[in-house]
Amino acid sequence: MELTLSHLCRRYRDKTAVADFSATLTPGVWGLLGANGAGKTTLMKMIAGILEPSGGQILFNGKPAEKLGEAYRKVFGWLPQDFGFPPEFTVREYLIYVAVLKGLDREQTVARIRELLDEVSLTEVANRKIAKLSGGMRRRVGIAQALLNDPEILILDEPTAGLDPGERVRFRNLLSELAQDRIVLISTHIVSDVEYIATRHLLMKDGRLMASGTAQELTELVCGKVWTCRQKPEQVPALENRLQIIGLHNEEDGSVTVRYLASAPAVSGSCPAAARLEDVYLWLFPESAGCGKRRRFS
Amino acid sequence: MRLFTLELKRILKKRISQILMGLAILCSLVLAWLPSSYCYSTGMDAAGQEVMLTGLESVQYEKARQAAASGLVTPEKVKAAVETYQACLQKYDVTESWDLPPGVYEQEIMPVAPLLHGVKEAFANPKTGMAPSIMEIDPEKLDDWYSLCNERIVSLMTMEQPESPAAQEQAVKMYESVKKPFRVHPGMNTASLDYQNMLGFLILLFCVVMAAPAFASGYQNGADDILRCTRHGRGKIAAVRIMAALCVSGIGFLLCAGVYIIATNAFFGWECVQTSVQMMYSIVALPGWRVGQLQLFFAGAATLSVLASVSLTLFVSARCQTSLSALAVSLLLCLLPTVAAMTMPGEISTWLGVLLPAGGTGIQASFLYAATDFQFLSLGPLAVWTPWAMVAAWLVEIPLFALLTVRVYCSHQPG
Repeated sequence: MELTLSHLCRRYRDKTAVADFSATLTPGVWGLLGANGAGKTTLMKMIAGILEPSGGQILFNGKPAEKLGEAYRKVFGWLPQDFGFPPEFTVREYLIYVAVLKGLDREQTVARIRELLDEVSLTEVANRKIAKLSGGMRRRVGIAQALLNDPEILILDEPTAGLDPGERVRFRNLLSELAQDRIVLISTHIVSDVEYIATRHLLMKDGRLMASGTAQELTELVCGKVWTCRQKPEQVPALENRLQIIGLHNEEDGSVTVRYLASAPAVSGSCPAAARLEDVYLWLFPESAGCGKRRRFS
Repeated sequence: MRLFTLELKRILKKRISQILMGLAILCSLVLAWLPSSYCYSTGMDAAGQEVMLTGLESVQYEKARQAAASGLVTPEKVKAAVETYQACLQKYDVTESWDLPPGVYEQEIMPVAPLLHGVKEAFANPKTGMAPSIMEIDPEKLDDWYSLCNERIVSLMTMEQPESPAAQEQAVKMYESVKKPFRVHPGMNTASLDYQNMLGFLILLFCVVMAAPAFASGYQNGADDILRCTRHGRGKIAAVRIMAALCVSGIGFLLCAGVYIIATNAFFGWECVQTSVQMMYSIVALPGWRVGQLQLFFAGAATLSVLASVSLTLFVSARCQTSLSALAVSLLLCLLPTVAAMTMPGEISTWLGVLLPAGGTGIQASFLYAATDFQFLSLGPLAVWTPWAMVAAWLVEIPLFALLTVRVYCSHQPG
């Protein structure tokens, strides 16, 4: 099973949201990382068939998705960034409605809803109107609807937005269980959400695919560029002006450990540090850490 | 079928739908009662004192006074009524009935008044259309009452449709086929049908308000993004939503029309439905229907008009990005036939009234007024009576807008 994104483009009147994006997704959890406005949602909407690409193709097992039509949507699960729902529905009614749209029969519907409500801990509020639930609970309803048809392709746009830390952990565990034999693509700009559960990552910037690979492959891109040094607190503001600082940690002795990104050590006494996926993200998207300078991998 | 049931449930669960449906039933009862509440007449009590009667009391009083006029409208009865009228006015030396001394009208003219309906119109000047007063009419000419009516339709159509011999010919043919002699059963008046028209317009607005968010609200709140990614999330859901909206509107409208007709006939008396349309509207009105049939045909036609309007509303909803814009455009389209009837010259407003789905239930442009009028749509040598043209247009528009809605919905792209 594979989902091929071949030279996907999406242009609006005066803006290119996605430009020549190519990737082949195989079973496993894929993290789609990018700053706000990078084109992640547009890309996902194209994969979901909500937006028509201006160019390029989406192939599922070698066949164009738009030609597969119902057969493609049958194996598809989608949670958009802004989870919208008909306000008149209770949780259960909404899930039944979506289950019927997904083609589940009566027995499957009942069993699957019971199972999912339990998995996302919504059994107790199943008969409450979605409109009356908290943001986190609504998000969980959104996750449940996406999983109703046990999809082979699961696309989740910012699924953890609005979830508390406990819910985040539960969600990550749920996804890890689900990842077997299906393609799961999760977009986020919260790196820690996907760092441990995604097997591979796609890094997106200005509508383009900047890099892809496993967390290990990607962190190699910033290998030798992550440094730490100890400084007195009063020296930190000066460093902030000239370095791309990605972490500050107050030590017990009153000093501050500064973690920064640079091609070479920029402060005397700097030691190389082990790179993390977040470092790759910040290297690629310095503006998200408050640094204006943009970098590009050659 | 499961999806259809769920969609129906979804519509009926909405607070706005529940409020509007409750309001619609209430309006049906209130509007049915209002025309009878406006009736008034002056009667005599047991002591011979003049008393003012209002509402249903007045209706019952007049029906009792006019019982003898009830039944077939034969030339003899019309002639006798005219003679009674003329004799009464001559006796009191007046030329108009409102100059009669108090109580005389109720005593002498009221019992025959239903038979006088249309007499002046039948004697109208063929060139000017001006009707004489009843005092100027020669009762002897009334021996051939229905021939006079046949002559009148010819002269009227020559005036109404001078450019269309086909329309004139067709109108005459239609009138010839109207069953004569007419029947009259006093009690009901045209206000009852005007209020049925007003009810139709109100329920049309309610149906449009319920249907306008059908697609647009999903676009607006993002719910549609999820639904359209599902297996049946394109053509099937669109078709089901259309069917459900049409079903709720159609059944709702028929239910309200039914409540209205039952209530109004109960207030005025069921025998009134036997009255010929010609004895309530123009004496040369073209449809060969009784008032009861007019009520039913109007309800049926208005249902088609509402269904066509809802179908158009769903199309607008599939095109608009927000519920508010869908609602605004749809309401505008509902009001357009009425605005056209008030502001545009005859031919254009007639065409708009026929082509726009809401033309069947407008305040001034509706199937009721078209059915009791003499308008024909002329296309070269062809002439089509506007009520039939309206029905044909709605029968085309209902599936047409539904198909366009499915097409637009399937190809929708978020803005």
